[in-house]
Amino acid sequence: MTSAILYKQASLLAFDKIFCIAPNVRLEPLETCNTNRHLAEFHQIDVEISGATREDAMAVAEGIVVNAVRRVIAERSAELAALGRSPEAFTELLEWPFDRMTHADAVANLRGLGLEQSADAEIDWRNEEILSSKASRPFFVTDYPKGSRGFYDRESRTEAGRLRNFDLIAPEGYGELTSGSEREYEYARIVTRMRESGENPAKYGWYLDMVRDGIPGSAGFGIGLERLTRYVAGLTSVWQASAYPKIPGVVSA
Amino acid sequence: MTGLRAPGFDARAVRDRALRGTAAVFPDTADYGRTLYGAGLPVPGDALDAARLVPPVFMPRRLEKLIELGREPLHTDVDLTATVGGFRAALPVYLSAFGSTQVASADLGLAVSRQAAGLGLPMVIGENVVPVNGYGRLDPDAGSSLVGRIRAYADHAVDGFGGVVVQQSTEDADAEVWNLVYSDPSALPLLESGRLAFELKVGQGAKPGLGGMTVLSAEAAALLGGQFALDPVFGDDPVLRCASPGTFTDEILRQQIRFMRNNFPRARVWVKLHPGRDVADAAGVAWAAGADAVTVDGAEGGTGWAPVPFLDHVGLPLAECLRRIGRPAGDLLATGRIWEGTRALKCLALGASAVGLGRAALLAADADPGLGLVRLVEALALELRLLISALGKYSVPDVGPEDVWTPTAPERQEHLV
Repeated sequence: MTSAILYKQASLLAFDKIFCIAPNVRLEPLETCNTNRHLAEFHQIDVEISGATREDAMAVAEGIVVNAVRRVIAERSAELAALGRSPEAFTELLEWPFDRMTHADAVANLRGLGLEQSADAEIDWRNEEILSSKASRPFFVTDYPKGSRGFYDRESRTEAGRLRNFDLIAPEGYGELTSGSEREYEYARIVTRMRESGENPAKYGWYLDMVRDGIPGSAGFGIGLERLTRYVAGLTSVWQASAYPKIPGVVSA
Repeated sequence: MTGLRAPGFDARAVRDRALRGTAAVFPDTADYGRTLYGAGLPVPGDALDAARLVPPVFMPRRLEKLIELGREPLHTDVDLTATVGGFRAALPVYLSAFGSTQVASADLGLAVSRQAAGLGLPMVIGENVVPVNGYGRLDPDAGSSLVGRIRAYADHAVDGFGGVVVQQSTEDADAEVWNLVYSDPSALPLLESGRLAFELKVGQGAKPGLGGMTVLSAEAAALLGGQFALDPVFGDDPVLRCASPGTFTDEILRQQIRFMRNNFPRARVWVKLHPGRDVADAAGVAWAAGADAVTVDGAEGGTGWAPVPFLDHVGLPLAECLRRIGRPAGDLLATGRIWEGTRALKCLALGASAVGLGRAALLAADADPGLGLVRLVEALALELRLLISALGKYSVPDVGPEDVWTPTAPERQEHLV
């Protein structure tokens, strides 16, 4: 796994904060082919901010989503109408701050609904869709357990096993838009976390050399461009938000 | 037959079974009625060999079986089906990994795959097969590559039985073997029928504390130089290829298992431990983190090539591993010099839920690539039925530590019961 996050951290040696919008290619397992929200090739809006906390990053992510929606409603109302998407879907989004719940709360909610959900894992896609469907504006899920995310998401120094990270979930069943976190930046912590996630540190030679010399602490996130477009446009599937979609399990010409 | 050898292991007896099957369980019938047996004392190889299976006189379980059947039970009434690391198996046996040693790279790998599938036994495909033999996705004649072995197994699998276990070590993580398999169409039938598992290789019996080692020609080694350390201990050609053993702490093991469960939710999780002195702690961490099976490879196990000091002086014997683990908190799989029924049953009685065939399977397939392993396993199954019924029991989980007597530590039974 080579995540853009490592390169974002490297970029902070030259800049205090960065963003980029770039294509991502992923070898997706077959079960992602009918989730309506996975593409083998997609675009990501990546942000990384030196010296930032998780809360700083969440505020920027929220600001991007709110401003994108506001601009679309103001400038593209004809397109929304053609898609049958009512601007009223975004009334709450524009008027209220996004809700927050911890991963542990999300697990408890789901179990309260009689659903199975591991406390040590990502929220299942199906369960995430259920939480998303019950919401009327986007919300954050924070504090995912270690083991559910990559080695670069920073582990809390006060609560072992909890990560200083977040997902931003769209309402109406559209699901995850964004993943983000404070980052690990200390050499020994990163090597240990690599082993905990089954990675061979030798594969990350350039990165570890850089970290040993010192990189700044940071926080950042990536917004799935097609996922955000799907939500704003009210599309059934994420592939409809791409002119030339590459869908897991489907051979593209 | 390639002349594959296994010093210190009764290869002759394994080959005999591969060729004669169940007939080899008994003395030659030509001597029947003319020879007196039983005076020879076997030379014990280790504590498991020295232990004896001890049928009782009073057999309440046999009475239960008699009532169930309405007639006196026989050895043919023993049910050998077992759950092995989340898979259903025709008997409490699986095929352990052969690693990347040259013996396992030849057509033997495919012969073993086909026969194991037909027998309904789970099979582990060893670490480093991808970096050394290739993955084989684009090769129509996938041969001994990982995909070749998976296809051979899937094509001969019996409905509802068996499964394929793909091992990954630290170097395999670079090749992302599990990711490749999990998203590969040739593995889909196994995945959909719940018969795919991934095994995290923490260590191995042949060289506890070290990683995999193979001897390669200088030419072959040049192709792998980027992935593995190469040591010219024999001069320039051949060279010694060393894989790193990987670093584990309890938290690293726990998190790696969680990672496997989170990333591959439809695959079973197996963990293979070397016979370390803290094997009981490690097994406990693995089960608590959700491993479907923990494999313990006794120091006498492993088909792998190892430095001489490790062959004779490093690691706990399998019997001691079983003693330290005691009553297992999950599926415990034991390997180490197992090929016949008595050693297998002693392991089962001392806590294992299945035993692994390693070098015995290779030798049997080498003796007859078509049916050698089938005959070896038929002989093993017959012995298990005879032995279990002699204990007055008729299913594998019923066997327990009370069925084993150990001369060097008779108090062990109380410890284990």
